[in-house]
Amino acid sequence: MATESIGETPTLFLRKATGLVRGWSVRDSIIYACLATNFLTLGIYEFTFAGPAFPQGQFITSIIISAILVSFLVIAYSGLIVTIPRAGGDYVWQTRILGSGIGFVMAATGWWFILWLWAPIYGNILSVILFQPLWATLGDPSGAVWFTSKTGIFVVCLITIAIAGILVSLGMAGYARIQKWCFYGGLVFFGVVVVLLLINSHASFVSSFNLEGQKIFGVHNAYAATNAAAKKAGYSTYNMGFGPIGPTMLLVPAMMFFILWPNWGSTLYGEIRGASDFKRVFTGMFTGLWITVLLTIVFLLLVDKTIGWAFYQNLNSLDYNLTPQFGIWPYPFLFAGWLVHNTVFQVILILGLSLWFIGWVGTLFLSSTRVIFAAAFDRVLPDRAAEVSEKRKVPFYSLILMLLPAAGLSAVYAYSLTFRNYTLDATLVIAVTYLFSAIAVVILPWRKPDLWAASPASRIKVAGIPLVPLAGWVTIALLVFDLFEWFHNSLYFVNNRDSLYFMGAMYVLAIIVYVWARLVRRSQGIDLGLINKEIPVE
Amino acid sequence: MKIFFATDIHGSEVCWRKFLNSAAFYKADLVVLGGDVTGKAMVPITAYNGYWMVTVRGETQRLETKAELDEVMTKIRNSGFYPAIVSQEELTHLGENEGAVDRRFSEEMISSLDRWLDMADGKLRGGQIPCILNGGNDDIFEIDNIIESSPCVSFGEGKLLDLDGFSLVSMGWTNPTPWDTYREAPEEELAAKIEAVAGLVPDMGRAIFNFHAPPYGTGLDEAPALDENLRPMHGGVVMKPVGSVAVRDAILKHQPLLSVHGHIHESRAIKKMNRTLAINPGSVYGDGILQGAVIDLDVKKAKVSRYLLVNG
Repeated sequence: MATESIGETPTLFLRKATGLVRGWSVRDSIIYACLATNFLTLGIYEFTFAGPAFPQGQFITSIIISAILVSFLVIAYSGLIVTIPRAGGDYVWQTRILGSGIGFVMAATGWWFILWLWAPIYGNILSVILFQPLWATLGDPSGAVWFTSKTGIFVVCLITIAIAGILVSLGMAGYARIQKWCFYGGLVFFGVVVVLLLINSHASFVSSFNLEGQKIFGVHNAYAATNAAAKKAGYSTYNMGFGPIGPTMLLVPAMMFFILWPNWGSTLYGEIRGASDFKRVFTGMFTGLWITVLLTIVFLLLVDKTIGWAFYQNLNSLDYNLTPQFGIWPYPFLFAGWLVHNTVFQVILILGLSLWFIGWVGTLFLSSTRVIFAAAFDRVLPDRAAEVSEKRKVPFYSLILMLLPAAGLSAVYAYSLTFRNYTLDATLVIAVTYLFSAIAVVILPWRKPDLWAASPASRIKVAGIPLVPLAGWVTIALLVFDLFEWFHNSLYFVNNRDSLYFMGAMYVLAIIVYVWARLVRRSQGIDLGLINKEIPVE
Repeated sequence: MKIFFATDIHGSEVCWRKFLNSAAFYKADLVVLGGDVTGKAMVPITAYNGYWMVTVRGETQRLETKAELDEVMTKIRNSGFYPAIVSQEELTHLGENEGAVDRRFSEEMISSLDRWLDMADGKLRGGQIPCILNGGNDDIFEIDNIIESSPCVSFGEGKLLDLDGFSLVSMGWTNPTPWDTYREAPEEELAAKIEAVAGLVPDMGRAIFNFHAPPYGTGLDEAPALDENLRPMHGGVVMKPVGSVAVRDAILKHQPLLSVHGHIHESRAIKKMNRTLAINPGSVYGDGILQGAVIDLDVKKAKVSRYLLVNG
């Protein structure tokens, strides 16, 4: 028996009963949100594209603006989590609030089909943050360059898929332990980078860059050569600062690639819910998001101080124009490691900074298997899709539904340079799913008034206005702005015909699966329309 | 024959009302509630001279009229809590005396169940629609006799009930939980209880097991992994199987046609265990949604012809 009180007055008596759990550690939730908005992998990968695409845009300002706007998404999702705290996430919220069909199409595209594309993107990230710098540091620069070839990228994509598959097979309990170690380990190695960039001057960086560039890649006077190559290519850099706002706003849709995901894994358990639950859920995601922002700003300021902002952007611009200085992706942590002229140290640093990749890549497939399971239990997918092997508890069929298309798409990604440009499709499709969840938040008080009235989220108000639906509106504005820019502005590389066909095909596939399921189940005498139809109370 | 099975409504009055309407809504021939009928929490409403004070989910309200009081009590009941009107002295006494709280809990549970069974009489056309209720591990034993004495529902525990040629056997006990609840037993004892009811079944090909505990390691029993302080580990993302080995072994041994379960609310799932279809429809009673399973049984062929998990 337990008692909740305000002051000395008891307000709730609990008897002994199953499931009366205490709230999970907010620290764990923060770690999860940090890994989801993975600055050490997704963030720096995106910067290589974002800088040259929008040279007048100011990174720090855009990241802060992005994070402020995403904070409203965090509020909106916190509202959903404490109102309908189900592990199925967007699928459950949307099917319950918007309807089964919309829920399935949005969840299937945003949490399943588009993750096929995330597999090769993650593969490419593994190539650029691990294989390329590692091979180069170990004295095989041509081997490093091989990883940038079509076959090299495809091989690393397959390795990535294999790693993710193995991590999923470990089960979440085993993987969660690995994640935690990876998080702290990655943070320590990032700390090493911070110290290196902090204690060294720009002059010593230039000297180290020239020395290691010559030693590893045989490039003479690499620092000056980089600047000259960028200038020759017609690239102009701008100093780090706070304006102008127009180009800076154009960076916001690009930053979504890493900053849009603090809500990825948050959930809630326990049946006796109160106002503190909203705070707990919100704090985990919000703090994780802003830790990412802090790490990013620290990194960018140190780049400005030690590497030189113009030089960093010159490196990125050469890669953007497919003429990377050393033939491999310009990994800033590799160059920071060059401040210590010791190969063993450099190798350890590269390995250590890849820990956040290992810590997150398994989640890629785990998220999909959950949606596949939920859809199978709803009889939208064949029952077999939710089967788990008896011995090792591996979700065999759902992994196949993820792995095979992901491997196929990896081949397309690796061997088609055009397709590789559709990186932001991966963000766009999930953003559309989020948009529908944001719409669900906004209409929740009308669609499910009883559920809303009973939710702790309904009591959080600003100037008498419920904060959660308001945050839903801001989230809608953010996502509509992003979608408009992605579809309107060719600099994001996703508004061309083939990219639109690719994304459109995913929605068509999801609709076909759902309609097919309705028809097949109807022929079996099963009405899928019943799944979310509420029984009258009176 | 169409069965509607739901479970773990934990005192939610809105879910109970929906359950009573489920036969008509899903055109079911009978309805089964798999246990954990009673609520877990009690909200004291303190009576003062001419008004009442209550705190619901952290928000303290002053209720001036009987209509306001009734509205708040309905909301409390709908979310699965028991509203308990107390004087200031009673509240102080409850706050200082665990035994007094337990007694008050029992009173509220019993009076609430009495009221529910009265509602059932009308909705189930005085017993024309068969309705089977069972206790779960969270239910106090006092409810058994109350359900047993109801004219419109059947109490399932430890019995064989004949349903148009199908045999339904029920057991509300579970393997031990960290909360040390009422109907828990070690796996060996559980196995013995199961064998006692399974032994009543004449034909396993037409048997339905209604066991509150889900079978271990089948996906019907995935609950958040907890640390020693009952706090979900790793941000709540890690699940682990917590079902009963005895239940799993019994299903695999006897191979009933159908096996329905509850207990683990988060684990809404279906599993084919050789010939047996095992189902846990899960529970979200706190949301006022009645999760359940609509199951069509082919009487002639003795097979499950259709099934669907629903969020009513």
